[in-house]
Amino acid sequence: MVKKKELFLFLLLFLLGIFFIYVYDNIKEAKEDIFNRIEKHQVEQISHVLENIEKDILDYSEIKNSKDLLYLFENKSTREDYEHIISLMLTSNVKYAYILYKDERDRFRFLLDASKTDKANFYQKLDVTNSEYRTIYRIKKPQVIKQHDMENLYLTYLYPIIANDTVVGLFSIDITTNIQEIILESIKPLETFFMVLIISLILLMIMTVMQLFHYFVTRKKIFTDPLTRTFNRNYLEEISSMLNLSHYSIAMLDLDKFKVINDTYGHKAGDYILAQAAKVFKKSIRDSDILIRYGGEEFLLLINNRHKDSSTFSICERLKDNLSKQTFVYDTNEIKVNVSIGLHKHPALEKNMQEAIKIADRMLYIAKKNGRNQIVCYDEKSQNDISSSSKNIGFVKQALNENRITCYYQPIYCNNYNTIKNYEALVRIIAKDGSIISPLQFLPQLRHTNIYYKLTQTILLLVFEKFKHNEKHVSININFSDLINPDIENTIISHLGSNPHLASRVTFEILESDEIDNIKLFKEKIKLLHSLKAKVSIDDFGSGYSNFKTIIDIEANYLKIDGSLIKNIDTNDKDFKVVKSIIHFAHQANMQTIAEFVHSKEVFDKLLELDIDYLQGYYIAEPKSTLLEVHELF
Amino acid sequence: MKAIITLLFSSLVLLASETNHLQVKILETIITNIHLDKNIVVWSDNKNLLAELKKHNVLLTTNICEDATVIILQDKRKLEKECSSKHIFVLNYNSLSHVPQSFGALFWKKGRPNIVLIEPRIKSQLIKISKDLEPYLEERVW
Repeated sequence: MVKKKELFLFLLLFLLGIFFIYVYDNIKEAKEDIFNRIEKHQVEQISHVLENIEKDILDYSEIKNSKDLLYLFENKSTREDYEHIISLMLTSNVKYAYILYKDERDRFRFLLDASKTDKANFYQKLDVTNSEYRTIYRIKKPQVIKQHDMENLYLTYLYPIIANDTVVGLFSIDITTNIQEIILESIKPLETFFMVLIISLILLMIMTVMQLFHYFVTRKKIFTDPLTRTFNRNYLEEISSMLNLSHYSIAMLDLDKFKVINDTYGHKAGDYILAQAAKVFKKSIRDSDILIRYGGEEFLLLINNRHKDSSTFSICERLKDNLSKQTFVYDTNEIKVNVSIGLHKHPALEKNMQEAIKIADRMLYIAKKNGRNQIVCYDEKSQNDISSSSKNIGFVKQALNENRITCYYQPIYCNNYNTIKNYEALVRIIAKDGSIISPLQFLPQLRHTNIYYKLTQTILLLVFEKFKHNEKHVSININFSDLINPDIENTIISHLGSNPHLASRVTFEILESDEIDNIKLFKEKIKLLHSLKAKVSIDDFGSGYSNFKTIIDIEANYLKIDGSLIKNIDTNDKDFKVVKSIIHFAHQANMQTIAEFVHSKEVFDKLLELDIDYLQGYYIAEPKSTLLEVHELF
Repeated sequence: MKAIITLLFSSLVLLASETNHLQVKILETIITNIHLDKNIVVWSDNKNLLAELKKHNVLLTTNICEDATVIILQDKRKLEKECSSKHIFVLNYNSLSHVPQSFGALFWKKGRPNIVLIEPRIKSQLIKISKDLEPYLEERVW
């Protein structure tokens, strides 16, 4: 969160800057105030002295008008006496002190000059420009003239000599700037300190602004995925803390069979499709929605649900349909791609965004499992039961440590011979209260975790132990990632390699999945199972990407047709035809067929019509902890 | 004209550091407001002042005292004998007393610029002045 830090620093510096400017301004004001107080004090002092001298002059000579004053000072000795008295006022601060007289032509003349320097002669003219010299004659009150540094003068104080209510002359006192300069000198270091501080702060603020500017310039790069031009996970991290989840729905999007595109046309084609698909997504959403490339071919869409114009589900549908309609051309190859979507309409109900994303991801997983190119929306009501009872990794880990993993077995029935061909081992956890926990409650959370592999290994050991001393056959679910796990491989080899009798009765049901991204390695692993005399069944056939060539190459023994094709076979003609084709294909390829999800007599009968080899489902028998016998079926 | 001089005075107050420059300006104003029966050509013993006047090019100036009609005198000791009969304008009030033929002065008193023109000397030297200079006329040197 660089931005927040920088903004905070900038604000802090800004406030500090304001504070120091305020302090600096106050120092300036204080300086002015000190000057004014000194000035007032000086003027008051001078005023008192001048008042006394004025009184003395008037009393001594009975001055009645200006002429009398002129005559008084025409006398050299009188003039010198008063010059001496007035000169006592002179200090380093009071530079000039003199008495002026206004002649009949309104020109000012010196009557006496007590100054030590630049002394004027008696009756010498003084050219004055300030209006105060004339104002004083009118208003008969002392005047202060600020001299603005004229020849080192700070101010001139004019004091009227009044006789018979008429101004007959005036004292003029010129005060220098000496004291003020001393004060200025004293304050200067403080002023300089604050000035340097303010400049430093301004520089820091400029640097912060530059950093912020740099941040905003690079922000786009940091938060944009270069391939799809959508936001990336950095952006999600950036906004997640300030995002109000109640304003958004969350959808996880995943391009279907994207690995096939990569494998078939190359990674460049894959990148091209990814970029084009992102374009379609962006066109299908609104400005207020946020599309993030979550990783690989997976996108996270934050749908703003405050708009009334379209529902979150309809946006997902639009997005899915728009992509389905598109045909992308890469190197003359026409490529079509679909998207599966897991939608969580009310993520605010979750603890945090990560939890909401997990749920949307789970919905995406279901969408994928149910045949792809579809939207699965999280239904809080029905899912609450699951989620309230859904178990986390810790729960499974504990169950593993406490040996509370068990298997239930569902018979796979052979109608032709009225026998049980196999038992499919299905994992369960025995809760501490003795209740049985179904895999739906813990398997989705375990995907791609180490615990998942440990669980698989435990199941294998349980099954091998149970079947090693009887004559019955068993099917074990396993996926490609299990097969390439060295621990699991060792467990299989060590138990089946040393016991061919057991090996010949074990069938590995391998999920037909796009997780099989390395066909060569996949074939090698199947070959290994065959070499151990174990059998191989392709699970959920028809729901995956059905690479017929690979299935033929691996010489699978059985094809287990996906339940989604079976469950409605009695009513859905299309499903019927697909199943019929699969059975025909399997027989042609020398494989036997198994139908799962046989939940009713109608489905059972329909499958028999198609000459299916084996059947499995609740109509025949539910999974049980014990191995059921034929007479216990139906 | 008075207004111009007042303005010049005010400017001087505001721009004390440029005293010399303003002194030149005031001198130019004074000299251009006096009239002689011949062309006014100025010479000064203050070489800086003369150079400044020359630079301004408002008054005719000369480097030779004998060629001048008006002398602006800073230091009375530098007044050459051959030039003592010229019209002399001094830059010190006391010089008005020491140089009897000087007709006027520009000087600083208590930090303020002052102009004095001695009326009897002006008349005797047949110098005519414009109305704007009349407020600065004095009967005598005090």
